[in-house]
Amino acid sequence: MKPVTFALRCLILGFFLAAVAFCIILSFQLISTEATVILVIFNFLFGFLTSLLNETLEKKLFILFLGNLIGLFWNYVFSLFAVIAAEYLGEFFHAVYMVLNPILNLTWIVSFWSTSLAFFANPQASKRRRRLDN
Amino acid sequence: MIIEALEAIFLVLTILIVAYLARHYIFTVIVLRNFQKHKRRCAVTDATYRPTVSILIPARNEEKVIGRLLQRMTELTYPKNKVQVIVVDDASIDNTGSIAEHYSKTCSVIKVVHVNKGEGGKGKASALNVGFKHSTGEILLCFDADYFPQRDIIEKLAQEFIDPKVGAVQGRVIVLNEPQNIVTRLVALERIGGYRIDQEARDCLGLIVQFGGTVGGFRRNLLEKLGGWDESILAEDTDLTFRIYLAGYKVHYVGDAECYEEAVETWNAYRKQRYRWAKGHMQCFFKHSLRVLKSSHLGFKEKIDGLLLLNIYFMPVLVLLSFVIGVPLVFLQSSQWLAAFWISIPASLFSFVGNFAPFFEVGIGAYLDGRTRAQWLIPLLIFTFLYNILICTKAFLDLLLSRIARKNSNIWTKTAHSGNGNRYIMS
Repeated sequence: MKPVTFALRCLILGFFLAAVAFCIILSFQLISTEATVILVIFNFLFGFLTSLLNETLEKKLFILFLGNLIGLFWNYVFSLFAVIAAEYLGEFFHAVYMVLNPILNLTWIVSFWSTSLAFFANPQASKRRRRLDN
Repeated sequence: MIIEALEAIFLVLTILIVAYLARHYIFTVIVLRNFQKHKRRCAVTDATYRPTVSILIPARNEEKVIGRLLQRMTELTYPKNKVQVIVVDDASIDNTGSIAEHYSKTCSVIKVVHVNKGEGGKGKASALNVGFKHSTGEILLCFDADYFPQRDIIEKLAQEFIDPKVGAVQGRVIVLNEPQNIVTRLVALERIGGYRIDQEARDCLGLIVQFGGTVGGFRRNLLEKLGGWDESILAEDTDLTFRIYLAGYKVHYVGDAECYEEAVETWNAYRKQRYRWAKGHMQCFFKHSLRVLKSSHLGFKEKIDGLLLLNIYFMPVLVLLSFVIGVPLVFLQSSQWLAAFWISIPASLFSFVGNFAPFFEVGIGAYLDGRTRAQWLIPLLIFTFLYNILICTKAFLDLLLSRIARKNSNIWTKTAHSGNGNRYIMS
């Protein structure tokens, strides 16, 4: 690998890692501890499993960053909705939000996971499918 | 006092759910690592080993699918002088018997055993025991009538028996009619998670590999020692798995030995099948849990895995219970730690029930199989899990009531097959 290419690659990787860290910090500052916990769980789950896939590191980190961005946005929008709803509905809504928040968060994590895996999938491996006659 | 008790129960349930999630996370990582390193299980095998094999095919009203399987039986690459195919026509009222007789006339290795109406229809275990009495092979393999195996599947399965510690083998099940509708697509995903990851990981880690009742087989002498299939259990496959391990033998998983099944096509058929599995599995839990704990043949990790496996159909009931207890506790905001634990409960909702394979495991299984679109259906797991909560809760209550009343309420509900899988073989 040429030194320029190597430096560029390091720069890209550094950017994505910093962006992921920034998303986590932002979730703590802007939203709530629960949102940060969800993002950390997502990063642990996604980062560790995708690191074992046969893909370029840039691609994996880009998808990880995208996931963090979506998670941050999702949690931010929901927290705004919760604040407004709690204003009108009182403490009861706060409790409902506490119960439903993890389920709603899982919805984006699972959806993102399934979509991103389709992005990673290697169509060559699918040739083993439907091998009805050996 | 009540709140503290509820908190304690909730904590235990959460720990159990987290234990399952962690177990399947480890399974997923193990299979992925092996895939990366192109590592395969170091099994004692011999490709030239050719024991005599009897293939048992229990069939009850399977006229739409039996011909497909018997045709494939005539095409097997295993030496014809070492194979025997026994079709047990279990009091069928359709043309199953005559179709089997037709193949029996054209192919000498196929033998048909007719069970009359008075003695038949008692379930798969009963039909297999009938076939067992007529078999002569050193190795017994079982195939359900709706299955369609590879031509060289016998070689792949039989070669594992060169190792004297192997009591049984299990091949891989793949859904044949996957594109048919949403039910078959979801069952296909479940099979991917269960076989591509679960069974393979258990085999790699030396845990309890489950014999799935079909696409697998046993040593004849072991089965004789065990007294054949237990007809009082609805999940005769799980029961046999544990009896094999408790007798000091192992079950091996052979991922390359692929066989195609015709999956259930409607939610109603799905409900009936899963109800039978759930109830049968729960029966096995009551029968084997203590034996697993006390067994001198099983190591610590096998015992833990065995108990988790036996408990698997209780999980939807326990998840429901954790919601029933957890929601009021969250509303009351009784403890600070509750919110942290609450996060883990919904994760279990995105799992399959038969193996408790969570969404990440199913996704990786599909990735390893090179499936580019199948993963898109993973978010729908939540609906199958909620459906299974109802099915498993009913199975649990029925079993509980039958045990209290000391009444055997086992009714074998046969899964009907439409034969729609044929079109995917032709294409």
